[in-house]
Amino acid sequence: MTTETVTVRPPLWRDVRVLKWLFQFAVFAVVAAIVLWLYGNYQLNSRRSGVATSFGFLNNPANFTIPENSMAQLAPVRRALVEGFLNTLRVSLVGIALATVLGILVGIGRLSSNWLVRRLSAVYVEGFRNIPLAILLIFVYFGVVLQGMPAIGEAWTPAGLFVFSNRGIGVPWFQGGTGLQLAATVLAAVLAWWLVSRWRKRVFDRTGNPSRAGLYGSIVFLAIVVAGWFALGFSVSLPEVVGRQVRGGIRVDPAYMALLIALVLYTASHIAEITRGSIQAVPRGQEEAATAVALSPFQRLWNVVLPQAMRIAIPPLGNQYLNLIKNSSLGAGISYFELTMVTRIAVANGSPAIPAFTVALGVYLVISLVTSAAVNLANRRFRLVER
Amino acid sequence: MKSSRKLAALLAVLALVAAACTSDSDGTTTTAGGDGGSDGPATGSVYDTVMSNDEVRCGTRDDLPGFAVVNPDGSRTGFDVEFCKVVAAAVLGDAEKANLVDLATPDRFTALQSGQIDVLIRNTTWTAGRDGQEGATFLTTTFYDGQGMMVNAGEFSSIEDMDGVVVCSAGGTTTEGNAASEASRLGLDWEVRSFEDVDTLQQAFQEGACDGWTSDVSQLTGLRSAYPDGPDALTILPEVFSKEPLGPAVRDGDSKWAQVVDWAIIATIQAEEWGITSQNVDDFLDSDNPSILVFLGQAPPEGAVLDPGLGLPTDFAYQVIKQVGNYGEIFERNLAPLGLERGVNALWQDGGLQYAPPYRG
Repeated sequence: MTTETVTVRPPLWRDVRVLKWLFQFAVFAVVAAIVLWLYGNYQLNSRRSGVATSFGFLNNPANFTIPENSMAQLAPVRRALVEGFLNTLRVSLVGIALATVLGILVGIGRLSSNWLVRRLSAVYVEGFRNIPLAILLIFVYFGVVLQGMPAIGEAWTPAGLFVFSNRGIGVPWFQGGTGLQLAATVLAAVLAWWLVSRWRKRVFDRTGNPSRAGLYGSIVFLAIVVAGWFALGFSVSLPEVVGRQVRGGIRVDPAYMALLIALVLYTASHIAEITRGSIQAVPRGQEEAATAVALSPFQRLWNVVLPQAMRIAIPPLGNQYLNLIKNSSLGAGISYFELTMVTRIAVANGSPAIPAFTVALGVYLVISLVTSAAVNLANRRFRLVER
Repeated sequence: MKSSRKLAALLAVLALVAAACTSDSDGTTTTAGGDGGSDGPATGSVYDTVMSNDEVRCGTRDDLPGFAVVNPDGSRTGFDVEFCKVVAAAVLGDAEKANLVDLATPDRFTALQSGQIDVLIRNTTWTAGRDGQEGATFLTTTFYDGQGMMVNAGEFSSIEDMDGVVVCSAGGTTTEGNAASEASRLGLDWEVRSFEDVDTLQQAFQEGACDGWTSDVSQLTGLRSAYPDGPDALTILPEVFSKEPLGPAVRDGDSKWAQVVDWAIIATIQAEEWGITSQNVDDFLDSDNPSILVFLGQAPPEGAVLDPGLGLPTDFAYQVIKQVGNYGEIFERNLAPLGLERGVNALWQDGGLQYAPPYRG
């Protein structure tokens, strides 16, 4: 005797599985229809008022120049947008690195047992977290950079190596080769360092002789950098005041400096709070166990608590990085030629507004998505593997 | 079983999307076609909008001495503001029916295209790109300007001395490009920086971030007169290195409204040519000069009034002159106090460029 399970399917209009799908189609269709309708309206109205909607403007001459940049005045608009994009990256990447370091330090400081350090960190966090970034930026630009630095006429040039003025800080830099060649040289040197350290470690493991990985590695690193320097014909360019500009070496633009300082101070205050929360989320037992095996306070923090805390901190850190990248568009207000600024100037010089800003929007979206992907990757990589 | 259901679902989605696309693009085409046929003057001219709103929405600004500023009591004055009033007086018979809308420089053409304003009178330069790409039509030039350079008094005496300097301009305009061109032409090494607004630029200039401040000479004159350290702290160099014809702009493809705005402005120039001012206009109502009678919309006994069919009331010129004034009066009230000379903006008979086409049948 066998019992047969009889499945009676409900009619289609009451089948949950069908309804679930149907609902999703409906939502999708409505959204798609709205988007198409809006796009149709835009096309229609633009045509009616004779506004260009094509992206042909990207090939028109830009007709403006960018400070710190060799772009020709009549280079196409697309080239100017690329330069703006690179300037955005320049301030964002350096800003992310500095904000992370400062933020983690202040976050640790907030939990310090030293009263003064704890209080100062709290004042820093509460101060910078609670003022609008735009105001902080204006304050830093005018109050710190333009007024705090000497005027170009009385620029401070310590030992002829640096130039400090409110038209920029000049720093010695290489000349004679491309940045790519320099990067390749440094990369090769780092790779050699890594290989040598690994070899020394194996020697140590096998023979017990002192590894001295750092010493050997540094020697190889320096040797490769010096060899590459002469082989590729690099030389040093020193900054100097020419006329009323800072020339030679590499110049840190005043607007770049102000934007970077403001972004770092502001974002670090948020990162500090994330760090503090993440450290407090690490079970107390971890630190107690580390104390029990007689680790020093630094070892407890560096080897036990921080690695676990940063694992928790990665996703919210990613949000702060995205904010920093998008906030870099405030640089337009203080004459930093990042993507938004370049787009605005391109529009003022005859590029159609909507397509031009669409391009800028797309670029910001791509930068943000790439950053998100990197953060997610890091998150997966460092996630606690639970069994 | 399960996978086939998924396939069916996928197909259904595709069908839906396809349906949405087709139906929608059909819709668009129909509308576009319907509209394309009536794209001429017959469809919604701004003129009709102005008549039904009973006000002229005029795009202007609030921060440029001489051209458009807000007074402490909240009223607005300036050269551009008065031309907004000229248009309102001509079309609606009342200069006070000009609704002045503040616009940031980068937003001005978008505001015009989207119909947020009816006419743009905001010291805007007529260029080929703006005529072609921004969907704007430029009308009678109200002010012939040119770009110049302002420096701290005593630092430079000529643009050619300015090598290796930082030149700043207020962004969102064509001034960066003009400055870069001028530097190349003279073989000078300029770093051209631009700022989003004039106040930030002025602050940066005061703090020594720039050696030169470049803009249209009229703007520089206005800014110099209001400089915190006094006008004598700054010098405007004699060289002028660009042509900047400033005038009103309307949307492309609306010749009816364009003619209305054009003739309102031409009336102020014509009035100056005949010496008709807001003070003495009533004395001209029985003038012996028939051209003046026609212009003021008057008729001698047994005569007829000319209506050239512009859509303007026949006495529009009278209203403009009575309520606002002629071109010379507007210039004297707003720009002369800043120290600007008539120069190329004098009447044609005085060797200038201001010339009114004849008002006759």
